[in-house]
Amino acid sequence: MIARISYAFRETWASFKRNVTLTMAAVVTSAVSLLLVGSTFLIQRAFDNLLTRWKGDVELIVYVRSDADPNQIQVIEDALNSQPAIIDVSKLRYLDQAQSYAEAQKLFAGDPGTLRLLTPENIPSQFKVVPISQDSNLIRELGEQFRSLAGVREVAYAQDVFDVVARVSQFIRIATTAMSIVLLMVAVGLIWNTIRTAMFARRREIEVMKLVGATNWFIRIPFMLEGLMQGLIGGVLSCLGLWGLNTAWSNAVADFNDTELAALVVTDGYMRFVMFILLGIGAIAGAVGSGIAASRFLDV
Amino acid sequence: MIRLENVTKTYGTEIPAVRDASFEVAKGEFVFMVGPSGSGKSTLLRLMNRQEQPERGAVWVAGKDINEMSDSKVPYLRRNIGNIFQDYKLLLNKTVFENVAFALEVIGRPKHVIRQQVPAVLDLVGLSDKEDRFPHQLSGGEQQRVSIARAFVNRPLILLADEPTGNLDPATGEGIMRLLDRINNTGTTVVMATHDQRIVNMMRRRVVQLDRGVIVRDQERGVYD
Repeated sequence: MIARISYAFRETWASFKRNVTLTMAAVVTSAVSLLLVGSTFLIQRAFDNLLTRWKGDVELIVYVRSDADPNQIQVIEDALNSQPAIIDVSKLRYLDQAQSYAEAQKLFAGDPGTLRLLTPENIPSQFKVVPISQDSNLIRELGEQFRSLAGVREVAYAQDVFDVVARVSQFIRIATTAMSIVLLMVAVGLIWNTIRTAMFARRREIEVMKLVGATNWFIRIPFMLEGLMQGLIGGVLSCLGLWGLNTAWSNAVADFNDTELAALVVTDGYMRFVMFILLGIGAIAGAVGSGIAASRFLDV
Repeated sequence: MIRLENVTKTYGTEIPAVRDASFEVAKGEFVFMVGPSGSGKSTLLRLMNRQEQPERGAVWVAGKDINEMSDSKVPYLRRNIGNIFQDYKLLLNKTVFENVAFALEVIGRPKHVIRQQVPAVLDLVGLSDKEDRFPHQLSGGEQQRVSIARAFVNRPLILLADEPTGNLDPATGEGIMRLLDRINNTGTTVVMATHDQRIVNMMRRRVVQLDRGVIVRDQERGVYD
């Protein structure tokens, strides 16, 4: 048994040294594809976090014209308070122009062009409304009623923004998944090719092994081990890359910790989970790819 | 030990390489398969260790129909059959000792068995003093002895030899034949394909003659022609 294990490792290592270039190509490709797979996981999770946070938050904002008089504002407020079945009146908040301006300073921190156009005088004040009802049609109907009130500049639905973000996240999910699947197939193909080359280099030995009665598994295992190592090394590299990317990203968005951007991060626990998945995919893809290649070329 | 029943083997769509061949080899027998190149000698040998499978007919080895057994059993069949080739098929990056040890290593024999059996078989073939040499440092006859040692180290029931003297000068070939004869005397069945008339005539063993895939003669203590 020990003799067999040491044989397998010896052969794996020898083959690694013999095919440095091809091995490198297979490792790098699997690393890149796995990095993309991991990014897909993280991006998806970050968007989910963001969307969850929004869901429980403001869903309706009634913007009040900057030139509206206090009477008009009072009318709007009364109208809102008169709908306790739909609106959680206890959470109704009014941000006057100074408060709205302060909020805009944070929201548009990354957009100085927009910020320059805003002044405490021209910015609309706003009612932030938290609905009780889950029925978005009902909320929309209510919003349309407010839109016709004097002094109302605009009614914004968080649902709309939510939908846009959800659509973007859906698109990113599909695009990155498709790309990572393609790259993963390329990686498996390269591992396959490395194994084929390794087997071609050792065809005389394989011929002799078959003639003296070595089992197919005995012949196959060093090659499968080689493929598994390539996938696993690719997995380790992708984990390092992903960890670096995630750290850089988390640090970058930490500066925006009052805005929604700060929700676009994942927890360390989830990160570890993704890394574990990547190592698993790498190892399995490598072993399976090389195992199929080995079986395919073993038939003399 | 080996029995062929109406075996036909065709490569591609051409005329059969072996046509309706039937014969039997008893345990411990020594058989020459003779005939010109392309007459089907090598194909017959390859049918006996299931490197090839026939279209029709059955091949029995050691009491088993080898074309009925599952692929996973084939390695265990081959552990009972040694193979020798005209071109030796030695591994050039391994020493004499390692080449012979390789045959035991890859069927999972433990180290202490290898350390014991390899020197013994190298002694048998007369290469005890050359176990650290590489194949390119040996003469053709010596390389063939290494290949015989490798084929015999696991004490197989059967030895299949495909033109083992084909690349050797007459004197060296005779030495190889004496070695195969000694191995045969230990009870190992030997089937040897050759077109070396001199050797066949010298040994006076059973001769099975092939002509374009058909067995045309099967003679005890025969000569080449």
